[in-house]
Amino acid sequence: MSELAASRTLTDSLTMAGRALRLTRRQLDALLTSLMMPILLMLVFVYLFGGAIQTGSKYVTYVVPGVLLLCAGFGSATTAVSVAGDLTGGIIDRFRSMDVSGTAVLNGHVVASAVRNLASTVIVFGVAFLIGFRPHAGPAAWLAAIGVLLAFILAISWLAAAVGVLARSAEAAGGFTFFIMFVPYASSAFVPIDTMPSWLHGFAQNQPVTPVIETLRGLLLDQPVGDSPWQALAWCGGILVASIALAAVLFRRRTA
Amino acid sequence: MAVELPVRAIAPPARPSGRMDRIRWTLVDGRTVVWRNLMQLKSQPGELVGAIIFPAIMVVLFGYVFGSAIKVPGGGNYREYLMPGLFAMTALTSLMTTMLAVATDASKGVMDRFRSMPMARSAVPFGQVGGDILIGVVGLVAMVGCGYAVGWRIHHGILSALAAFGLLILLRYALSWAGVLFGLLVKNEETADQMLPLVFPLSMLSNSFVPTAGMPAWLRVISDWNPVSAVVAACRGLFGNPGVPAGHVALPLQHPVVATLLWSTVLLAVFAPLAIRRYRTANR
Repeated sequence: MSELAASRTLTDSLTMAGRALRLTRRQLDALLTSLMMPILLMLVFVYLFGGAIQTGSKYVTYVVPGVLLLCAGFGSATTAVSVAGDLTGGIIDRFRSMDVSGTAVLNGHVVASAVRNLASTVIVFGVAFLIGFRPHAGPAAWLAAIGVLLAFILAISWLAAAVGVLARSAEAAGGFTFFIMFVPYASSAFVPIDTMPSWLHGFAQNQPVTPVIETLRGLLLDQPVGDSPWQALAWCGGILVASIALAAVLFRRRTA
Repeated sequence: MAVELPVRAIAPPARPSGRMDRIRWTLVDGRTVVWRNLMQLKSQPGELVGAIIFPAIMVVLFGYVFGSAIKVPGGGNYREYLMPGLFAMTALTSLMTTMLAVATDASKGVMDRFRSMPMARSAVPFGQVGGDILIGVVGLVAMVGCGYAVGWRIHHGILSALAAFGLLILLRYALSWAGVLFGLLVKNEETADQMLPLVFPLSMLSNSFVPTAGMPAWLRVISDWNPVSAVVAACRGLFGNPGVPAGHVALPLQHPVVATLLWSTVLLAVFAPLAIRRYRTANR
């Protein structure tokens, strides 16, 4: 019986993911924003600021891992808005009358978010390659980097889904973008942490984005990564578990 | 049985005939529109808060997060180098805020109402620009406070500083007229909203945040000839802040005060008449 329920949830989730992706196609402005903004930021930082920022290496090489995480941030903002829109638009009641499981709706949004984020990551990689980014990773390092990136994308997507359930309107959920946008800046994404003032060190060193960036940078550029991968996975796992639990509880409460 | 009351036609006030009367009429009506725009802030305080908060975030972001990794030409404190750039950035926001305000008024039919009233035609654009300047001054004062908090100082005396602030307000005034014109052209809140991010490259493609020397050659040319670069260089010179360009630099950066005055005059000469004309003929 539980196997049947799991199979139905999976089918429903894939259907909902398809729906979320179709909705994405109809919200072209949001899609273009989440695709173009990270690219625009990368170009601004590489061409305008890169010549003045001292990182000890070619700046494009330094900045790309951080921009990849920004991609996930922008993509997840769309997820938060979509979830909030569904909850305030009355569509959830329709789904419930059709006996669609509640978790499937959120799963669908998260899967769609992951697909969108992976697509934008590939595009950013392409542009980065065109402007001079040259990774030195072997096949194993590439797989590990993709794994870490995927873990971060899933964690941030579930966090966005939880925020979408928590928010009382799509506009309030949109405010989440603002917060997500600023977390990667106070990390090693754009400048080395040791150049920052001492009072910022603590936050920049111990926030979730820094170990993920350091792991990606190390893996892609074939540099030692230390214990960054374990910290990164611990952060991603923690955010993922907490967000799934929070989203489930809040969703049940809001649709009760 | 219904009683018919006599209908008394109310004639609109006669249009002033003399040149001085027309100017006075425009100023009085313009002041009313300025007052109306300022009153709107009571119901939309977010606009004023945004004008103050956003630059403050930029101070923290560039001054502390990125700034420590950026080398200032000729040495010196990066936050002192940065502040004139942020002052110019607040001046540049007038283009966005005015465009959005005018487009909102146009889309809601407020402009049509103004046109149907017996008031000076040019008073509405003048009022929009005047209101924006007052908001801009408040934003600039807040930015100066932020600057002082992070270690920025005026080193060349009060007269030089007033001249620098005068240049910033003049550029803001000129850009506000551009905002009025674009707002009247788009006539739509959503379109204006989507155009807002296009203004940021203007402030980024300049010497506001980093010296242009580190940019690729083709970008450096654009940045050096950007009006924002001229006003930033002028302010750095007048405030006595680091980063004043030396050696072989583009013409506008050799004489930044003159360049700023020229840019502002050109922008005003182009956009003010076009905005007034567009407002007058919008529905014809």
